[in-house]
Amino acid sequence: MIKTTLWIGLVVIVLLSPFLGAVDLSIEDIVHLKGLSAQIFYELRLPRVFFTFFAGAVLALSGLLFQTLFRNPLMTPYTLGISSGATLGAGVAIKLGLNSLFFGIGAVTLFGFLGALLTIFLLLYLAQFLKGSQQSSLLLLGIALSLFYSAALMLIFYLGNTIQNDMLIRFTMGSLSIIGWQSPLVLGSVAFFLTLALYAYRFELQLLAVSQESAKLKGVESQKVTLILLLISSFAIGILVSISGPIGFVGLIVPHIVAKLYPLTVERRIFKTALFGGFFLVVCDTISRTLPSQSELPIGIITALIGGPFFIYLIITNKR
Amino acid sequence: MGANGSGKSTLAKTLCNLNTFSGKILLDGKEVERYSAKERAKKIAYIPTKLDLYDTFLTVKEFVLLGRFAHKESFFDYTETDRALAHDAIELFGLKHLADQTLHSLSSGESALVLIAQALTQQSQIIIFDEPTANLDPKNAKIIAQHIKELKQTHTIVLITHDLHLAAFIDNPVLFLKNRSAHYFQNDFFTDENLSRLYDVSIRSLEVVYD
Repeated sequence: MIKTTLWIGLVVIVLLSPFLGAVDLSIEDIVHLKGLSAQIFYELRLPRVFFTFFAGAVLALSGLLFQTLFRNPLMTPYTLGISSGATLGAGVAIKLGLNSLFFGIGAVTLFGFLGALLTIFLLLYLAQFLKGSQQSSLLLLGIALSLFYSAALMLIFYLGNTIQNDMLIRFTMGSLSIIGWQSPLVLGSVAFFLTLALYAYRFELQLLAVSQESAKLKGVESQKVTLILLLISSFAIGILVSISGPIGFVGLIVPHIVAKLYPLTVERRIFKTALFGGFFLVVCDTISRTLPSQSELPIGIITALIGGPFFIYLIITNKR
Repeated sequence: MGANGSGKSTLAKTLCNLNTFSGKILLDGKEVERYSAKERAKKIAYIPTKLDLYDTFLTVKEFVLLGRFAHKESFFDYTETDRALAHDAIELFGLKHLADQTLHSLSSGESALVLIAQALTQQSQIIIFDEPTANLDPKNAKIIAQHIKELKQTHTIVLITHDLHLAAFIDNPVLFLKNRSAHYFQNDFFTDENLSRLYDVSIRSLEVVYD
């Protein structure tokens, strides 16, 4: 009952979302595809809702994946510094004023992706030095990396000019302001690909959620599967962060809420987590767009305001 | 067998290719690391003393079914045959009333049975037991011991244990690890003199209590 109400509530908000915002739209114009209202609706609001939905799905699924593979409820691409890596990469591209395309991919996207990828390789390399019982030290490594990346980004600020810095600040706070349909299409494909990968490996994931050792003994090529899934997820995060900037805590909160709602093994929470993640972020975005303020509140601030206290709650209730 | 830290578990896990090693381990004439993970799992099953479980939602039924992974087509779900085998194993060990409970809620005795049930669905010829009675009270230890003895009729049993009663009851040839060397006993292992010498502690008149 509670579950049904929650889902219905989420769907209603998501459906209303494109009609809400700083500018009131004329429904008549939207229906007749004319005027400013239609333009705002079809070129700004609607693509944004789709983009936000896919972003939420990617973040939530990556969180679920990282928590399962690293056997720790606090592991997400965000807490492990992968988002920061992508942010730094994108920041470097902004600072260098790279606008050119490599094989049709924007420099900021490419650098963001490389930042994420480099970080995951660095983490995997460093993880070798940790013994099995020290998995949570990986989290400390992630935090150390995040701090290091932040300092590097500060350095870029320090060296940057005002225009670049303005872009950087907006970027690091996370923003879902996109124009047109290109970004939602790209991220939609990425989200689809990530979901498909998790689904294809759902039984391997179920065994990895027992333990790495148990998975190996039952016939899972653990290292291979872990690497493939982490790479796909880092790829997705890299793309996302390079478009929207880092959006924290979604990957942390959503898998936990879904697990509370549906106490099932991981392979049966994949689609629910993706869907809930998408809805959740659209709701957060709708809040950020409808709050009475001079300018739009960056989405990263909303999710961090909700996520920060939740993170603390998780740490103090985590019995493992 | 062997003292704590003599390398029993390490050896057993190495047999399953869980550790890196130098030298050669042959499984049915083929080097163990040259098997795919699935093919290896079909040959050899390893039962840990205790399960360190991250997924707290896993039920007994689901857990036992995981033993069928190596026999399953990649990507596709477990088949009806897989489910039937898991169901049979659950019945065989008298776990039917626990089938829908989560693994977390089980007692040590119950989870020991669940672990064996899972290994059985794996249908591998060799089953390695790593200290199966270490956490159990005498009654549960006896139940497990009798199951292992029964499995010995149909499987190759490798048993790691400090439980001398259990070892004597299963009555396998013994490989004793001590001071980085291995001592092999075909059948004359369980004499007071032998045990006292190997364990560096006086042991007298061992009786088999699991019969």
